[in-house]
Amino acid sequence: MKKYSDLEYLKLSKWQRFLHKIASFFASIPRSLKNAGLAIVNFFKNIFLAIGREISDICTTFVKGDWKTKISYVIMGFGNCARGQILRGLLFFLFELVFIFYMFIAGIIFPGGHGGAYWLSMLPSLGLIGPHEEYNMVLDSYTTVYGDNSFKILLYGVLTIFFIIAFIYTWRQNIKQNKIAEQILRSGKPLKSGKQDLHSLVDDQFHKTLLALPMTGIIVFTVLPIVFMILVAFTNYDGTHDGYNNSLFTWQGLENFRTMLSWSGSGNQVYSATFGEILTWTLIWAFFATFTNYFLGMFVAMMINKKGIRIKKVWRTILVLTIAIPQFISLLYVSKMFAKNGIINGMLLDWKWITSPIPFWEDPTLARIMVIVINIWIGIPYLMLIATGILMNIPQDLYESSRIDGAGPWKQYTKITLPYMLFITGPYLLTSFTSNMNNFNVIYLLTGGAPTNVAASSAAGSVGFTDLLITWLFKITTGEGAQYYMASVVGILVFIVVAVISLVVYGLLPSIKNEEDFQ
Amino acid sequence: MSTKGTRTHMGLKARSRISNTVIYVLLVIMSVVWLIPFIFIVLQSFRIESTWQVGYILPQKWGFDNYLALWNTDFKQWYLNTFIIALAVAVLQTIIVLCMSYTLSRFRFKMRGPLMRFMLILGMFPGMLTMIILYRVLKDLGLTQANAVPGLILVYIASSGMGYYVSKGFFDTIPKSLDEAARVDGATRLQVLTKVILPLAKPIVIYTILTAFMAPWGDFVFARYVSFGTSAGMNVAVGMYSWLQQDMISQRYTMFCAGGVIVAIPVTILFMCLQKYYVEGVTGGAVKG
Amino acid sequence: MKMKKFIALFIAAAMVFALSACGGSDDNASTPAASDGATQASQEQQSGSSELAGTYDITVWMPDAIVDLTKKMIDDFNASNEYGIVFNPTIEAVGEGDAATQMITDVEAGADIFNFAQDQFARLVQAGALSKLGAQAGETVSAGNDAGAVKAVTIDGELYAYPETADNTYFMYYDTSVIPEADTEDLDAIIADCEAANKYIAFQLQDSGWYAASFFFGAGCVSEWATDVDGNWSVNDDFNSDKGLIAMKGMNKLMTSPMFLNSSSAADLDAGAAVVISGTWDSTTAKSILGDKFGVTDLPQFTVDGTKYDLVSFSGYKLMGVKPQTDATKAAALHRLAQYLTSEAAQLERFEAVGWGPANTAAQASEAVQADEILGAVIKQNAHSVVQGQVHDSWWNIMKAVGEGAKNAKSDDELKTVLAQYDTAIEDLKNLSTDPIFVGAWNGWDNTDMGVALAGEGDELSITLTVEQSDYMGGRIVTCGTWETDKGAAQVTTGADLIDVAGAGDDNNIVFLAPGTYTVTLNTATGEISITQ
Repeated sequence: MKKYSDLEYLKLSKWQRFLHKIASFFASIPRSLKNAGLAIVNFFKNIFLAIGREISDICTTFVKGDWKTKISYVIMGFGNCARGQILRGLLFFLFELVFIFYMFIAGIIFPGGHGGAYWLSMLPSLGLIGPHEEYNMVLDSYTTVYGDNSFKILLYGVLTIFFIIAFIYTWRQNIKQNKIAEQILRSGKPLKSGKQDLHSLVDDQFHKTLLALPMTGIIVFTVLPIVFMILVAFTNYDGTHDGYNNSLFTWQGLENFRTMLSWSGSGNQVYSATFGEILTWTLIWAFFATFTNYFLGMFVAMMINKKGIRIKKVWRTILVLTIAIPQFISLLYVSKMFAKNGIINGMLLDWKWITSPIPFWEDPTLARIMVIVINIWIGIPYLMLIATGILMNIPQDLYESSRIDGAGPWKQYTKITLPYMLFITGPYLLTSFTSNMNNFNVIYLLTGGAPTNVAASSAAGSVGFTDLLITWLFKITTGEGAQYYMASVVGILVFIVVAVISLVVYGLLPSIKNEEDFQ
Repeated sequence: MSTKGTRTHMGLKARSRISNTVIYVLLVIMSVVWLIPFIFIVLQSFRIESTWQVGYILPQKWGFDNYLALWNTDFKQWYLNTFIIALAVAVLQTIIVLCMSYTLSRFRFKMRGPLMRFMLILGMFPGMLTMIILYRVLKDLGLTQANAVPGLILVYIASSGMGYYVSKGFFDTIPKSLDEAARVDGATRLQVLTKVILPLAKPIVIYTILTAFMAPWGDFVFARYVSFGTSAGMNVAVGMYSWLQQDMISQRYTMFCAGGVIVAIPVTILFMCLQKYYVEGVTGGAVKG
Repeated sequence: MKMKKFIALFIAAAMVFALSACGGSDDNASTPAASDGATQASQEQQSGSSELAGTYDITVWMPDAIVDLTKKMIDDFNASNEYGIVFNPTIEAVGEGDAATQMITDVEAGADIFNFAQDQFARLVQAGALSKLGAQAGETVSAGNDAGAVKAVTIDGELYAYPETADNTYFMYYDTSVIPEADTEDLDAIIADCEAANKYIAFQLQDSGWYAASFFFGAGCVSEWATDVDGNWSVNDDFNSDKGLIAMKGMNKLMTSPMFLNSSSAADLDAGAAVVISGTWDSTTAKSILGDKFGVTDLPQFTVDGTKYDLVSFSGYKLMGVKPQTDATKAAALHRLAQYLTSEAAQLERFEAVGWGPANTAAQASEAVQADEILGAVIKQNAHSVVQGQVHDSWWNIMKAVGEGAKNAKSDDELKTVLAQYDTAIEDLKNLSTDPIFVGAWNGWDNTDMGVALAGEGDELSITLTVEQSDYMGGRIVTCGTWETDKGAAQVTTGADLIDVAGAGDDNNIVFLAPGTYTVTLNTATGEISITQ
């Protein structure tokens, strides 16, 4: 690849510059990969080094520490209490008690209950005894005797691991506290009292108070489920192996990924072909859905904002109706309108504009165009609102001076409006692209994925031409056989695709804005 | 028309009048396209000669029968459920989102960067993936079926911290010097938040409340899981969606339209009233990501 | 920094809370039997007149149309039963399709008694969502219902559900002002009438194998499926044949008409359709839309290359199932109720209230049923129908593709391609089952390899098969996906005396010496095969 000096580069035409950018992007891929590889290696290296440092620190603290510190290794919070920080000490101690109770005692004192140790021990097998039927001679009826529950084993197994990590972390903090307290006391300063601790929670440590609740929610209801579902991709959890009512499920390694991507010579490419097809359409859809909305929304905003246009508020209000009204009403209704015997076809037939009904949802290409067009109906108003706000911020004197220079409206648009918009909304475009990839509502409510894709019919879920990866995932989950493991595989692949796109686009964006600039 | 002669002949005013006319025509056409489906829904809801889908628009017989019929179904229960959920989510989610976004906008602590990156990565997983497991967790807590309402509230608000971007973007636009001045005057961080920042953040607070309030009206995928065949725990979307199934649509189609109108009215009115804040919210926050 | 622990504590405390809450509720969840109803039942056992006496809280899922009727029937049961059983039911309106899907999603949270269509039966049994009938209940069902109905609730010789209706088939509703009666037997004439009047023919061929199969069966094709409790299945299917091509041509002719409408809802009669192929559930709607223009009859004949073929429908049943219980008393009581709700009297009552055609033979013979216009069409149609077996779930998906292909094909070659794809899809389906497959002459190895998957728990996978007298009574275990021989005669350790080791040949076939029923067990860990007779 030719390297240009700054001067040479400036001499290039617009197209040459663009091609140069693309070429240099591809040329930089090997380097980027190498950097990424190095980053990963360094990441693990740093982790191991950090663990080593922690362990050596733990040991030295024990050796050098006083007796209070030493006892704290077994009874957490002892050091704090002994040095007068009762509140902290009690919290540590309480946490230790709860941990021990959960891990070992809960299973003993609750009849039929299980402690953390049980869940952990069952994790490798995901359960041993399945359910079986028993016949009651007297009553002439069958009952089911249930055995282990693979689902719960996996769920509480993961929870227990989370808990153990939290315990180790807290234990480590407990030791650090002792070390720091010793140092502070040695230097002759007093330790913080419980009251000061509490006060700092609304002052210099205020962020911890603010984050505690949201982060708890995210960990329990987002992180934990995601970890769980990633693990499901390595099991055979589905409708007929639900882990409790019919048969247990168990680990089966990379089998599901092999089926999905068909990299082994199994000769069965149904899943990989289907995945490829749906991914292609998902990307096409996301591209059009994002950019049609973007440009048309901007256009509408410019129309409404133009000088001399009256009742601006009325136009805007009419358009934002599609944001205000729940989509399950508006989209379902619109989908019925365009049905073969829907109102649109009925009117066109009555007016003799067409002689036979238009198969809006039955023809693959037409259905794909329709979802993109109807998505414009849903999406323009949102973009219009955003564009309105941004357009008003463009300094008017830019336009004035350009007009004096003889620029027409089109030139003004390409030279001032568009670059300004693109600069401000670059990151927004990216997030809107990825969220369009996962735009479940529009597809599911409009077509449900129809029309059916002939070639993909033996893959799980009933795949159609307008299905996105996300609706496919949903169909696999709720469809015949409920193949949760395949849904997980699709979910992981969606994540990978989104992550790769985000990384590449962030790399291409002209400049990553420094967030401090805004403040 | 666009020959050189006419163009030079026409004054600026005349040109702008023509382009304005074109714009008006476009806007009128768009307005019609935007309004038609909603007008149709309203018309269908007043049609009483039959309960199924028909190939014409204007009802032959008008009446309130469909609205009255709603009263005899579980619709009022579903409506109440959704309203409670929407209200609770609006309050709690706003608190959580504000905590999260304010912290990430204003505080510079060691874990801030990693935390934001971590949540960015979390956000790349499709949310649909975790539906089954969330359902199971709720079930173990006894918050499904008849108790679906608190269960749904819990799930909606628990992960809402992830949606901090927009309001963080807004907080970023409030000058930091204001905080610092207050801190110099001896205010604690808590006082800075309540006395200085919140009054300035009114648009984004209202924006957050509004979006949080609107979302539960449309959720039917996860809500369907959680209510699991129990009418008492359904929200409007789940309940009404079942009316469009094969075995019910012939009897319930016009009722679906009537229900849709009743659902849309309060949400739409609220949205229209608070539109100003919504615009400030999206433009202030969304673009800064 | 020093306060970091507070966050950790906070999170941890919250998790502990969640954990202990879950741990606590786990006791109940792992023994869901211990519901209030059951304990009450056992308390009343001592004082009651029968061991079943007691009050039971139950959930019942029924389609919207019969919710009120079912409520009344359960009240009647409470008042009249001799066991002293009192049910306290919560009845939810859940459609048939939804009921099956929901039950499979979460059996524990599902209804105790629910209503579903026959096509979901195999799925529900595999998901562990149906409890087996006792001996007495089994006998009553077998004796009282028609043979097809009993077949429909049987897997591996065991009964798992109660037949409720025998009208789950489709026939033709039409507008007599558009279609003269003379034309109702001829599909081509119907198409011509509809095109002339600009009216739709609603027939859900494009995305529903249930409807599309009518052309194939009409042309003389077969697709016979067998499934067992563990989900092992086999199929005898000849859709990819000359007969299949006839069916495809017939479908293509109808579906390329501009007035073809892919739908099966009687409401379409009010939205431009003159013909709707649908079932009894639509009778009320169809009647009220068409009024005195209402017509109903069996499916017409279609014509391909000058020959006429009957359209042969799938006929099926609506069934009622009982969820597996952990408490024997409650299970027995629920089965008593299910029997009551599907008895002759109950089936007649439902017929009178909502027009559902009974499966009970005595009820079928009653005068009121015989005289009914709609059921008249059902009975006429049943003469040209195939009783639906335990079709594999994925077949419905595969058939959607066939419908789609039949619509879009432009030539006979394209129709053949669709059929070839159908065949491939069925083969893929076999390959996708993860267990090893046993192929052999007894299930058609001469022309197409029809495999039967081995099944079982853990390392031991087994299959029981009946070998009939033939020239070559051999077969082998193949690897999924490749159809390469995996295990065969050389791996047989137990029962080597039953097979002809010398005759195994290069393919390592297992050739049985004599006809009979054998169980072949493969230990996947050791790779050893044992055969017992």
